[in-house]
Amino acid sequence: MSLDLTLRLVEQVTPIAAGTSVSVPIDGPEDLALVQRWVDTTGNTILMVHPESVEVFRGRIRDPIEALSPDRRPGFRLWIYTNFHCNLACDYCCVESSPRARPRIIDLESFSRIVDEAVTAGVSELFLTGGEPFMLLDLHERLRVAATAMPTTVLTNAMLWSGERLRLLEELPRDGLTLQISLDSASPELHDRHRGTGSFARAFAGIRLAMDLGFRVRVAATLGADAASSESDLEALFDELGLDRSQRIVRRIARQGAANAGLTVSRASLVPEVCVTAEGVWWHPVAAIDPAMKVSSEFSPLGEVIDGIRQEYRTHRISSDVLASTFPCG
Amino acid sequence: MDDDRELLIGAVAYSANVVPIWEGIREYFSDGPAPMDFVLFSNYERQVEALLAGHIDVAWNTNVAWVRTLRRTGGTATALASRDTDLVFTTVMVGRAGGGLQGLESLKGRRVALGSRDSGQARILPLHFLGRAGITPTDIDLLIFDSDVGKHGDTGRSDLDALRAVIDGDADGAAIGVNTWDALRAGGDAATADLEVIWESEPYSHCNFTALETLSEERYGPWLEHLMAMSWDDPDHRRILELEGLTRWVPPQLEGYASLEAAMDEQHISDRW
Repeated sequence: MSLDLTLRLVEQVTPIAAGTSVSVPIDGPEDLALVQRWVDTTGNTILMVHPESVEVFRGRIRDPIEALSPDRRPGFRLWIYTNFHCNLACDYCCVESSPRARPRIIDLESFSRIVDEAVTAGVSELFLTGGEPFMLLDLHERLRVAATAMPTTVLTNAMLWSGERLRLLEELPRDGLTLQISLDSASPELHDRHRGTGSFARAFAGIRLAMDLGFRVRVAATLGADAASSESDLEALFDELGLDRSQRIVRRIARQGAANAGLTVSRASLVPEVCVTAEGVWWHPVAAIDPAMKVSSEFSPLGEVIDGIRQEYRTHRISSDVLASTFPCG
Repeated sequence: MDDDRELLIGAVAYSANVVPIWEGIREYFSDGPAPMDFVLFSNYERQVEALLAGHIDVAWNTNVAWVRTLRRTGGTATALASRDTDLVFTTVMVGRAGGGLQGLESLKGRRVALGSRDSGQARILPLHFLGRAGITPTDIDLLIFDSDVGKHGDTGRSDLDALRAVIDGDADGAAIGVNTWDALRAGGDAATADLEVIWESEPYSHCNFTALETLSEERYGPWLEHLMAMSWDDPDHRRILELEGLTRWVPPQLEGYASLEAAMDEQHISDRW
């Protein structure tokens, strides 16, 4: 009976502290509609709906996405795995890329649709990764489509730029395009241990080449437990290269794909960075082959998929905040 | 006292929600020209005593606590501000829909449920308004719920107990604060379709921030100005305003306490507890 439900709402929700929640039993969609009207009018929030109850949060919830800096908000940035095959077989690769990996290429037509939908969905920045994107001989066409639409970064090991690929690199636009090159240490030993003998020298030469060609270059290092104090040496090398601090990334290995150690990640513990592969949409590019991190098998309609990811992130964050306030330690 | 110290505001902890409300208000003031802190009391009588003793600078008082303070200070206490909702507070007499009751006179010979003895809206003023309508306690069968004494009806507990009595058929009418009635109606018309309003009182004033005359305007002025600057249009301010049940802070209306003063006189309600 609706009067009973209203009385329960007043009795159960009103006295609890703002920021906490209480479960109110409901019986069917009419009850849920009444609860929704009641929370809207009284300045409270429905946190979760269960078959026989609704979790009501006291007060209005501050949107956890608003708390993120604009460039970290889900949907600001879109990652696209152009392909999964690679000239290297790094032992920590989060998506198990290698020369033998199934390529899973996003063809140019699909790529263009993804970019179009990204524009419509309000995405502000594209990141292309793989595999090694420059394995694709027609990558330059994708890069033109992307960089024309919005600022674009392509991740690369910078080892393939010779012959026809070098000619195509030289013709790429400089405006709106950043080359993000992987370099894991300041000297060959550590880099080559994970990425293959001789890879440091070629990557370093690639960085020099890209800079000489006038590209905006960002260098990203992925560090494992054996990196020890190598980070300071790496920073010194970045200084020597004249890299601006905003163009340096140092991150830790995630326990995903080929990595048998590293940071564990989950949808609850990662701020999502929406990621599209030939096989669907994923929570984050660091886990783009982990079934638990797959959001959708279809990228379209991308705007709706991104909205769904935002909503799931809100729910994770708000639920964990409420749980934290339910079990105070002192 | 050191005039540079932050203002200390007293409030009564009538529910767990009071803590986040006052932490929010304190946070708002921390960025302004008049930082403040707060102290919570278990009941309004303790708070009034603390104000009179100078342990706090300002008390967030109910209407009953205001009248008591005013009388204990020989009429020199000052009311600084109220919620907009405090100026139009009413008591609503609610009965079962279709019960055929309309107006206080129709309650003669009926069972009337009232709330706590220190609740202005659920007990003291209903008895006063019944008396003004020519109905004495001997004309009706009173069902009393002294459920939250000390909180002056803030919890709404005795309002809800009185209302339950109506729903359960133990009373024909229940006197409740309009804030409780509004909370019930927030679920939509269907939520209260089984109930109807038999009578609603004239508006009267409810809570206010009370200070003693010894608190100089120099001390409370910047705080009061900053309080009045809270805006419903600012999401951070609105969160606090919504929890405290107002849309804006306003100057108090002292004439709105006349009915309660008369009621407390008639019922010989002590200035102490």
